[in-house]
Amino acid sequence: MSIKSIAVYSDEDQNSLHVKFADECYHIGAAPPSESYLNIDKIIETAKKVGADAIHPGYGFLSENEGFAERCEKENIIFIGPTSKAMELTGDKIKCKVIMKDAKVPTVPGSDGTVENVQEAISISAEAGYPVLLKSAFGGGGRGIRMASDEKQLKQEFEMASEESRAAFGKSALFVEKYLEDIRHIEFQLLLDSHGNGRHLFERECSIQRRHQKLVEFTPSPVVDSRIREEVGEIAVRAAQAVNYLNAGTAEFLRDKQGKFYFIEINSRLQVEHPVTELVTGLDLVKLQIQIAQGEEINFRQEELKMQGAAIECRINAEDPFLEFAPSVGLVPDCNLPYGPGIRVDSYLYPGCTVSGYYDSLIAKLISWGRDFEEARVREREALKEFRIEGISTTIPLFKTILDEQNFLQGRLSTDYLERYGLIQKMIDAAEKETRKLADAVVAAFLMHSEFNQDSKLKEANSYSPRSSSGWTGLTLDRKRRS
Amino acid sequence: MDLKIGSIKELLKAEVVQTSGAATITIIIDKRPHEITLLRITSNEIEFIMDNKYHRAKIVQSETHETRLLVDGLPVAIKKHPMLQEILKKSLSAEERGEGGDKDIKSQIPGRVVNILAQIGTPVKKGDPIVILESMKMQVAVKAHKDGNIRLINVNQGATVARYDVIASLE
Repeated sequence: MSIKSIAVYSDEDQNSLHVKFADECYHIGAAPPSESYLNIDKIIETAKKVGADAIHPGYGFLSENEGFAERCEKENIIFIGPTSKAMELTGDKIKCKVIMKDAKVPTVPGSDGTVENVQEAISISAEAGYPVLLKSAFGGGGRGIRMASDEKQLKQEFEMASEESRAAFGKSALFVEKYLEDIRHIEFQLLLDSHGNGRHLFERECSIQRRHQKLVEFTPSPVVDSRIREEVGEIAVRAAQAVNYLNAGTAEFLRDKQGKFYFIEINSRLQVEHPVTELVTGLDLVKLQIQIAQGEEINFRQEELKMQGAAIECRINAEDPFLEFAPSVGLVPDCNLPYGPGIRVDSYLYPGCTVSGYYDSLIAKLISWGRDFEEARVREREALKEFRIEGISTTIPLFKTILDEQNFLQGRLSTDYLERYGLIQKMIDAAEKETRKLADAVVAAFLMHSEFNQDSKLKEANSYSPRSSSGWTGLTLDRKRRS
Repeated sequence: MDLKIGSIKELLKAEVVQTSGAATITIIIDKRPHEITLLRITSNEIEFIMDNKYHRAKIVQSETHETRLLVDGLPVAIKKHPMLQEILKKSLSAEERGEGGDKDIKSQIPGRVVNILAQIGTPVKKGDPIVILESMKMQVAVKAHKDGNIRLINVNQGATVARYDVIASLE
């Protein structure tokens, strides 16, 4: 697009790839995000100093911060994303739900705001249907949630939930929401320009999650056909238009066992899993974001879009799946990124890089494309085998297990997929099986290593090498030359 | 020698029997011979072809009783003479076994100390959180691996710890 790119970086990212590839790079502070990537003043100051016309916020840090978008608007810097006003609405769950109801967008049945007393909770629950969840407005991440399966239980739980909320936060503010079982998480990619055009770029199936963090995303969803795609896609565009949304965004839905879709929220940024959509539409979403931010009109009609083939993404995290997903950081002495037909890797890894404990554990996205789901799946699985990351633990073993798992193959997915089908145990079993298969090679490596290190002459030769710790070649174990 | 690989129950008996030429080795594992062509070897990396299959091994950590390797990307631990070690272990007292370190509570992850929950001189039970570490936006508790009294806390609020660092010691 012939646009100059300017990178900002913290102390910790001095050696990062984005710094090396940018046209210009500017240091903005210390390693902790609050002192660099979340420091609005410093970022704005840098942008003005270097004469930047626009800021792309990426998909972390300030990307969904309405205060930052507003500041950009005030300083006459284009924020590549929605307006601060739209962001404020999408960020406020209560306001957003009311707007969606008015726009006839189906939401999860329950109260529109907080419930004043138990009688109100009872009538809302009767309408929504049991079981219901009682949620504290102040809780989060699963805290302060209670379930009730009938009116009697609701009365008890309501009292306890109110007490809990009062004890923890000083006041009671509870929501009632229908509890949906066996649900899928399906989302629609959206694009809206400043000329009133809105398009959806089909769905992404994101049901495979761990603690509300997506692990695998793919498209098409096994439960979405062209009729449903058109129908829900239209609802998604309507939802975005109801909040005067601008630029790329995502409408997230829950789908219940009966096939009913419920809108939950709009993510007001480009998402981690956007490559999946790019591969099946052939569109470049970041390019489109920039064009829309420049005031250009979307130059394709909804009916011109066709979904071609299938795409799968695995989010590779620097976490140890065998140790409760504990973070794993440090030097990556060597790595091998896979490539080949239909394979895309978005990653900051390179041999010799360091994975920092200051930032998110997402280190790579491995995305495959195939003419159909099966071709994409096999490509993804084979690429996972070729993906080698040394020095740290990653979630690759879990993805290898998922990609060959029966329920995944059959498209039987739900947000509790990992627990429902015992994926962690399946991964442990697979690792043991692989260890057995490799046992002879392990023994051979161990024996040769012992021999090599017992050999004083070789050791001496080794110590003379300037790169003795790794990577030097040419020395072979030659018994004939041994004295 | 007898070797124990990972969590596999059976032990493997293995020996190097001969080497011929510059880089051809034969080893016997459980009475079966295997032909190895050595491609490259350094103090911590080995590349070889065994039974017509390429392998790449990296030595991650090498200690007297245990070596940890990465073979074709798979992390695996191998122990020498595990039988002998078991017998030795049983005949020695805890101190002689060098298990004084058993009283140390170690961190399984690198991270920053965001909260210290235990106090010196107070009793803790197995599984009690001692300190909370933060890494990659996640908070992870370092827990006591057994009951005891906290004798020492080695870290301060905000400190950075490495994997396997001793966080606290029990009496």
